[in-house]
Amino acid sequence: MATWGHLGFQDSASPLMEQLIFFHDHTMVVLILITTFVGYMMAAMFPNAFVNRFLLENQTIEVIWTILPAIILIFIALPSLRLLYLLDEVNNPSITLKTIGHQWYWSYEYSDFLQVEFDSYMTPSNELDLSGFRLLDVDNRTVLPMNTQVRMLVTAADVIHSWTVPALGVKADAIPGRLNQISFMVNRPGLFFGQCSEICGANHSFMPIVVESVSVSAFLNWISSSSDL
Amino acid sequence: MSSSHGHHAYHLVDMSPWPLTGSVSAMMLTTGLVKWFHQFNMDLLLLSFLATILTMIQWWRDVTREGTYQGLHTQVVMKGLRWGMILFIVSEVLFFFSFFWAFFHSSLSPTIEIGMCWPPVGIQPFNPFQIPLLNTTILLSSGATVTWAHHAITSSNHSEAIQSLALTIFLGLYFSALQAFEYAEASFTIADSVYGSTFFVATGFHGLHVIIGTSFLAVCFYRLYKCHFSSDHHFGFEAAAWYWHFVDVVWLFLYIFIYWWGG
Amino acid sequence: MSAAIMSSEEKLETAPFDPRFPNQNQTKYCYQSFVDYNRCQKIKGEDYEPCEYFKKVFQSVCPNAWLEKWNDQLEAGTFPGKI
Repeated sequence: MATWGHLGFQDSASPLMEQLIFFHDHTMVVLILITTFVGYMMAAMFPNAFVNRFLLENQTIEVIWTILPAIILIFIALPSLRLLYLLDEVNNPSITLKTIGHQWYWSYEYSDFLQVEFDSYMTPSNELDLSGFRLLDVDNRTVLPMNTQVRMLVTAADVIHSWTVPALGVKADAIPGRLNQISFMVNRPGLFFGQCSEICGANHSFMPIVVESVSVSAFLNWISSSSDL
Repeated sequence: MSSSHGHHAYHLVDMSPWPLTGSVSAMMLTTGLVKWFHQFNMDLLLLSFLATILTMIQWWRDVTREGTYQGLHTQVVMKGLRWGMILFIVSEVLFFFSFFWAFFHSSLSPTIEIGMCWPPVGIQPFNPFQIPLLNTTILLSSGATVTWAHHAITSSNHSEAIQSLALTIFLGLYFSALQAFEYAEASFTIADSVYGSTFFVATGFHGLHVIIGTSFLAVCFYRLYKCHFSSDHHFGFEAAAWYWHFVDVVWLFLYIFIYWWGG
Repeated sequence: MSAAIMSSEEKLETAPFDPRFPNQNQTKYCYQSFVDYNRCQKIKGEDYEPCEYFKKVFQSVCPNAWLEKWNDQLEAGTFPGKI
């Protein structure tokens, strides 16, 4: 999860988020090379007292500085498109989890074999114990089995919300009357936090998401005990 | 008057109250409409409608005086008026573009709420080969008669111009009457699914434009009767004719896509 | 009860990817499965086993609130789909 002064990505907890971080690093390398080169050129030019007699209508340099950026952009665009399509891929999901955005909480439905549904509200600061995370912890966590392909279906009951977990590389708008599908796989156990990412009203900042990744057998234990309730 | 002075061909307009009265009555018109839509009385709407009509009559009277009697509409001014009218009609085309966008968005991939078909479950659309087809022939004929009137004006044939323009206005009124009849007979309302919404908003705004175009032609008829138009100075009429053709073309698209293909 | 479920459900299973609905928008996968189930039952009778496949799919994919609404509409005869 994000902590104080943390500006970069959170550590990835899914293969897709690893790919996203790789892509970010790749693009940053290109950006830094360009910035350094342009910065060096500017620094070298400014103290220069000479006059360039061939400044205007210089076709050679025009061709070079048109073609070169185009080639660089291709090296960014191709991995970007590959990743875009990879993110939309649905590989044979083993479990479907539905989430519905409300003003202002998320509700979850598991209905593959046992019917389990619950609401997930933020824990208010005055009810939080010392180990809790302010504005991020919820009363009912979303439990998911790790190393399992998950199909997430996102919709909303009132206004547009957006279901997001940065560590899993997942974000999808929750739109009334529409079912959006995203798929991911959590590759380690742990708690992963997220927040609503579409301004949805007064308490938009107070409807966090907590995914609890556990082993498959622990998940089955949890879901059978939840459905008995 | 400053407008007739200066050694240039441009028309520097005089002080006029009509932009102010026009803005105030337009604001009152929107407020009055909202009030009426919310089930209150029509007092403000009728009052502001009267104020708008009075502004239009007096403003147009002033423009006629400047252009026809004071000779302030030189070639260069007419060029500006032409561009103004062209850009206005382009903006009107884009206005209707948005309704067609909504229509195609809803009809090409119908949602589950309306049964994934078009027209939606429970909607009985009009038969496109009855009154709508008659309306198409009426508007196409009126396009021909307005061109006839234009030719009559350019060849200085006053009586023929009067007859053909009167016929155009009559066809415009006939179209509006048939649309009103069709609306009264409709089995669905603007509140009946996205079909009713797109249908009545698109055809309703077209009908409003037909009424505006008919009024424009009626003003031209009055000015023709008063001999304001010469064979080479009649832009007011040309603007009305352009506008009428625009309304005509919008109807053809409405007929083909909403009435015929979408019904 | 939970022990029985543990043994039978050790292999997790859900509605498969359907190539008719390859997009992010899965609204029609849910709706079509619901319509197919009801049409299947109407044609083949309520006890026809293969119809249950559609039920499994729409239960996995549809939000419960939508199913409630549609079942109410079916009862009231106002459901827009062709059953």
